[in-house]
Amino acid sequence: MKDGNERDFAAVTEELVFLRLLHLADSALPIGGLAHSFGLETLASAGMLDVSDLADFLRGHLQEAGMLEAVACREAYRLLATDDTDLLAARWVEINDYLSAMKCARESRAASASLGRNFLQAILRLGDFPALRETWDASLAAKSQIHHAAAFGLVSATFNLPETLAVQAFLNQSTASLVSAYQRLLPLGQTEATHILWNLKPVIAEVSAASATHTLQEVSCFMPLLDWGAMEHPALSTRLFVS
Amino acid sequence: MITTAREVRQGIELEAAARNHVRSTMRLDFARDSGGHTLLRESFQEPPLKVVRAFALDDGSALAHLHNVSGGLLGGDHLSLQINVEAGASAQITTTGATRIYHARRGFSATTQCNDAIVGEGALLEYLPDAIIPFAGADFFQRTTIDLSEDAGAIWWEILAPGREASGERFAYERVVMRARVNALGHRIACENICMQPGKHDVASLARFGSYSYSATFYICRVGMDASYWRTAEDHLREATSSLTRPGQTLWGISTLVAHGLVVRCLARSGRDVLPGLQAVWRQAKMHLYNREAIPPRKVN
Repeated sequence: MKDGNERDFAAVTEELVFLRLLHLADSALPIGGLAHSFGLETLASAGMLDVSDLADFLRGHLQEAGMLEAVACREAYRLLATDDTDLLAARWVEINDYLSAMKCARESRAASASLGRNFLQAILRLGDFPALRETWDASLAAKSQIHHAAAFGLVSATFNLPETLAVQAFLNQSTASLVSAYQRLLPLGQTEATHILWNLKPVIAEVSAASATHTLQEVSCFMPLLDWGAMEHPALSTRLFVS
Repeated sequence: MITTAREVRQGIELEAAARNHVRSTMRLDFARDSGGHTLLRESFQEPPLKVVRAFALDDGSALAHLHNVSGGLLGGDHLSLQINVEAGASAQITTTGATRIYHARRGFSATTQCNDAIVGEGALLEYLPDAIIPFAGADFFQRTTIDLSEDAGAIWWEILAPGREASGERFAYERVVMRARVNALGHRIACENICMQPGKHDVASLARFGSYSYSATFYICRVGMDASYWRTAEDHLREATSSLTRPGQTLWGISTLVAHGLVVRCLARSGRDVLPGLQAVWRQAKMHLYNREAIPPRKVN
């Protein structure tokens, strides 16, 4: 790490690293996550996603969208290894632009970008982090969006959180957010929600491990039914969520 | 060195595979003449891809029918389609039937198709093919790149069938990989990476196809229009897509891209619903973007 503040963070104890990871990966972190369903609301509204289907849906979601975001999270994490700030900024914008192009539904794309921007902005207010500031400025200059997965990876590297743990924590919180959204849409009890999330941990670990061997350009993500839900969300007459 | 009968057989198969591989390139260059009509100025064709001639359409566009005279694609075949629509020209390309991807024999690599389109300033490319049908055991890789210049337009769809449904095949293929990139003025505006492996992943998962089996992706682009234009276009065309949606049978969704265009997504249980729906959205989009009627391509078979 290159500067005073980041050197300080490199010296923090293992316990502090763990606590920071818990904080950043809390799905209740006030960055706006509760406002988004990423198309889930449309599927629920159309009666396409019963409680009995949810675990299977989330498994597939992790294997498709989760995989894409896990790879983006890793690539952003690894950016901090470079000393070349121009390269860092250019590659940062490239990762985020790629994610924008991959997210075909406008509202889901905007939701991911809103969470990413809010997340990075919240961290920037915690202290002076030159690399994060560089990437923030680069995104503004390029009129590029900042996606949550990429921001999470970059911030995790800044705080010296272990890469794989960071990816797993990101996947866990994004899945928990979807379950939380679902609970507000349909009658899913706390016990069953906990059960579903608990049983998905091996899938999260599998996706995280697989993401280490892929590049962003080659990773696939195809969820046509959820894409439809996200695309048609603006047409719902009554909406609980922004996306 | 000991060579087993099995290794000998495998060697023969690989050699036969290399001999029987098709390496085919088709290059089509469309240009606008002084009278404002588009001509197929130049073409380079290798079998099995064939374009007999270009037909003049009433609006001055040129229509080309893309034939695959072999009837389908085999494992190891590599086809390359390069389309260049020069500044101000307007070209429409369709196929004469579905693209059939046959079962990949052991020792043969995936069937690959690369589509590269360059659309010049003020030009328009309409690419309106029939469905891709991957047969049981098919292994297919397709890469598509569309590069758009200033005020260039693209109407481009792809339809993916689950297999030969009439023969009882549904998601019986080995693998289908489809990668598409749409670039406007050098910036990526859309990117799609599909990898379907029915043997590995549950295609009927609600995170994927659910109870549907056909999918289509339709890009509608014109470079230079601002974000508010596309939001209006999205709302306008949503009326068309919503009217086509019949839950349980066919779903149609529409969204603006990052910039310069829209994407339409279709999921259907029956292939019969897809092409007419795409044509209906195309008609609306063409009128909205160009204030011109869409001219459905005449089929030659």
